[in-house]
Amino acid sequence: MRQSWLVCGIGILAAALLSGATPPAARAANVIDDWANIKAAPPPALQSVTVDPKTTALLMLDFTHPICNEKTKPRCVASLPAMKKLLAEARDNHVMVVFSTAGNQTPKDIWADIAPAPGEPVVNSHANKFQNTDLEKILKDKGIKTVIVTGVNANGAVLYTASEAAFLGFKVIDPINGSSAENEYIEQYVVYNFAHAPLISSMVTLTTSDMIKF
Amino acid sequence: MKSTRPLMAAIALTAALSAAGILSARAANVIDDWANIQAAPPPTLQPVTVDAKTTALLMLDFLHSNCNSEHGKRCIASLPIAKKLLDEARANHLLVVYSAYGKNTEKDIWDQVAPTGGEPFVVSFLDKFIGTDLNKILKDKGIKTVIVVGSAANGAAFGTASGAAQRGYSVIVPVDGISSDNLFAEQSAVWNMANAPVISSKITLTTVDMMKF
Repeated sequence: MRQSWLVCGIGILAAALLSGATPPAARAANVIDDWANIKAAPPPALQSVTVDPKTTALLMLDFTHPICNEKTKPRCVASLPAMKKLLAEARDNHVMVVFSTAGNQTPKDIWADIAPAPGEPVVNSHANKFQNTDLEKILKDKGIKTVIVTGVNANGAVLYTASEAAFLGFKVIDPINGSSAENEYIEQYVVYNFAHAPLISSMVTLTTSDMIKF
Repeated sequence: MKSTRPLMAAIALTAALSAAGILSARAANVIDDWANIQAAPPPTLQPVTVDAKTTALLMLDFLHSNCNSEHGKRCIASLPIAKKLLDEARANHLLVVYSAYGKNTEKDIWDQVAPTGGEPFVVSFLDKFIGTDLNKILKDKGIKTVIVVGSAANGAAFGTASGAAQRGYSVIVPVDGISSDNLFAEQSAVWNMANAPVISSKITLTTVDMMKF
């Protein structure tokens, strides 16, 4: 009996040491080695949202033919009818709408169905649309406190603009059916990141365009 | 035999439509499809030779408050790796910059990877370029490349690597130096750094052992 208690005690001690009571010596493997065994975390919940038209702006990012087309981003093209509906609702409720383009694109490259109307601002920048543009001023001059972020790529313009908006203190609404990428894995981890990343998650509400009420 | 024909035709049609990319359009949103989504293939790691004069090492948020046995086990496991990198960087006279978030101070950094006198220290959430003079600290020393390690992989490491890439720096990320206890989050942060528009062209993924000074 004594011997088995001793063995048991050593076992408990070893388990305590290995479980992180003290730092383990090194990681067995890096994430690339573990890649195939990693499972997706559970999906976040979507929320219904009612927005205040006076303090909310709709951002429609990079819905341009060079980025959003059947060949490279069919999921973006598939999102356009829902985005057209959302845009119409926003305009009906006098919500500010801001568009963007990337690189050497112009507003004429935006899909006609959801193109900017005269007077609606268009900014041009890569990924983070606050960088090297006056987007922050455009929004703050109108008293905007919340942005609805839609666009393509989910892991480019949407991810970086929504993240920067959160950094700058804006609340962010992400209708996930309006953020598209070339494959679902990208959309999945961007959505997950919005729900769980430090700081950003506290500022972002995940929803769908049909769950937004004005 | 006859009865299998419509099925075969349907399979052939499905294959043709899939190849044409038509079925990849969304039937439902990503939450509905969640359980069926597979991770993209892993990115390739590259050997790196560091130019000591124009490269800085960023040691991000190795703090007791986020890097601990309760919710930072992989971060604790990365500490010996980060220490090895830090020792090599100091031996080669690299600029080393440390960070914390919130109300943490330099004293909250784990001893083995803590700053010594005079090494810069910045405080900010996620992207350490925002609300700090990190960009000036780097520019003043002629830094063109930053090595990013720290925790969380999908927080400070991802935010700062993205911020550096968008500011024109080349970025080296040893994947064994960044961590999250949520492996899905760590995996996606790594994949995104290798594949996201704009930033991925500036980022090289490697491991500490694949870096030469």
